[in-house]
Amino acid sequence: MQDLDLTIQKGEFLAIMGSSGCGKTTTLRMLAGLEAPTEGEIRLRGQRINDLPTWSRDTPMVWQSLALFPFLNVRENVEFSLRMRGMASAERKRRAMHWLDRLQIAEFAERDVTQLSGGQRQRVALARSLVTEPEILLLDEPLSALDAHLKVRMQAVLADLQRQLGITFVYVTHSHSEAFSMADRVVIMSRGRIEQVGSPRDIHGAPRTRFVAEFLGSANIFSGKVIGRDGAHAVVETASGRLRVDPAARALSAGEPVTFTVSGDRVSLSATPPAGDLNVIQAKVVSEEFVGATTTVHMEAADGTELKAQKSHAELAQIEIRTGQPVFVSWPVQQAHLLPAAA
Amino acid sequence: MFHYNATNLPLQGAPGSLGRPAKGAAKKPPPRRRRVTLYGLTFSLPLLAWQLLFFLAPLAFLVALSFWTVRNFQMRPDFDLVNWATVYSNPVFWQTYLRTLVLAVGAAALTSLLAFPCAYAIAFKLSEGARRWATFLMVIPFFTSYLVRVYSWQIFLSDHGIINALLGRVGLGPVPMLNNTFGTMVGYLTLAFPLVVLLQLFSLVFVDRRLIEAAHNMGARRLRTILEVVVPSARVGLVIAALFCFILTFGDFVSPLYLGGGNPPTLSIMITDTTKAGQQWPRAAVIALTMIATLLAAAFGAVGYAYKGRAR
Repeated sequence: MQDLDLTIQKGEFLAIMGSSGCGKTTTLRMLAGLEAPTEGEIRLRGQRINDLPTWSRDTPMVWQSLALFPFLNVRENVEFSLRMRGMASAERKRRAMHWLDRLQIAEFAERDVTQLSGGQRQRVALARSLVTEPEILLLDEPLSALDAHLKVRMQAVLADLQRQLGITFVYVTHSHSEAFSMADRVVIMSRGRIEQVGSPRDIHGAPRTRFVAEFLGSANIFSGKVIGRDGAHAVVETASGRLRVDPAARALSAGEPVTFTVSGDRVSLSATPPAGDLNVIQAKVVSEEFVGATTTVHMEAADGTELKAQKSHAELAQIEIRTGQPVFVSWPVQQAHLLPAAA
Repeated sequence: MFHYNATNLPLQGAPGSLGRPAKGAAKKPPPRRRRVTLYGLTFSLPLLAWQLLFFLAPLAFLVALSFWTVRNFQMRPDFDLVNWATVYSNPVFWQTYLRTLVLAVGAAALTSLLAFPCAYAIAFKLSEGARRWATFLMVIPFFTSYLVRVYSWQIFLSDHGIINALLGRVGLGPVPMLNNTFGTMVGYLTLAFPLVVLLQLFSLVFVDRRLIEAAHNMGARRLRTILEVVVPSARVGLVIAALFCFILTFGDFVSPLYLGGGNPPTLSIMITDTTKAGQQWPRAAVIALTMIATLLAAAFGAVGYAYKGRAR
């Protein structure tokens, strides 16, 4: 982990994303006090909490493994942290039942956790973490063990809970859909560093580094050198030919290396060369991938550059797309997003 | 019998005690028809033969023997309840029975309590390599005869022994440590401690570390976590370890005789005394059968408690 500087707002839903080993879980564990940073400070409401042992922090975690106690029943599991805080039995039970009820699993209160389904156990784990009514909840890939349909349902449960309770959620995941559908802000990490922090929309629309663009996986990425100007646009020599970009944000000088991205849902496909003020690349269709309501068309340009387009089934029906067939990929110049210089 | 319990129970116990979250716990495997195969028989027959030859047959003989009679120092096959009546109506037998039971239960509790910090430290505080060494060191005591180890304790514990000599230097003692309950307990610990540590260790290393972190995360400090999470997680192994200590010490003859002084006796000492006194093998058989019944009850009770309710 290096140079991690992150401020988490009260009541926000923050998702930390990255491939495995990028430090996202370590970040969460440091917040929980299960691991100590070698340098730097962790502050809660402005106060340094580095030396506060994990049992003295109220930073409950929902574990990837759920870590429910198999020797306790559902209610006893939920009561655990209250019991550790020395709360009287009746009050403990009342609060545990309140949360079990809120998560719609009150009927299983006296069951063994081993008798529950994956989704039910997930709810027990949530109730167990929320029972102390903490200000912050740490979630470490909590949905990764669930089936796809349960995952979607639990996403809704989590998002609703977060909104209703106004608790800060710090949610570690490697799933794009989980992070981008639920979070207010997304942190993308790579090799122990933060690559980008922003709202899902910002990150999607304007990835800051090549890593982020590649990680999101939905954009076409081009690198090249500026060779000149064409009116208001800069002309970039890329492996796939000369492409024009709108330098809006900054001045580009000739010879400068640049990288820009074009989101897969912003490009058009056509069987014949399109007319208009567009960037056009001729490519060959490699494969089609159905993703729910849309299809991702994977293509390859003459130089081998991978291209992709996300289209609705209706749109695709109008263009004859066949694997191995040539296709024209085009986009208006303004649709390209220029990465900052350092990238 | 003990062979059977010894080898099977802890091994079956350990995975059950893990309580790993079973996916779709409600699902049961479809019932499979059990068929006797040659392959299965090859592996199970030796055990069956062993059990018949060395456990059931002698046990049957012991039962028969308990009904024999003794006339003029001669045993003769018979069916007479006189031995049972004589032994069970003797208050000395019941006093001895109770004393032996209390000593063995006490030894099981004491050994478990002393062994736990040791096993816990080996399981959780040592590195992988150090843990291997510690396990090896716990096996070493079994290299030497238990009798030899008990005899050597006499050198330490007697009134003129090493410990009292050292205490004498600082003006204390002599503290009687031999021929009393203290001596017996030292012997029992010598017998059972390494085994109990090993059995506890094997269940502790399987405790899910993530549960410990989860407990810390929910406000449980170290000691509380041990009591609330580690002990329940390792319950099967801990109970089996205590059961083993009970079994070993309940029937032990060496420690109560050579370190405890043999007076008042334990049941095992009483058995040898009975056989020596006028060839009363049938009465000794009654005592032995009573001990076996006690051990069976203890074993079933302990195993039942260990697996009670949860995480099969």
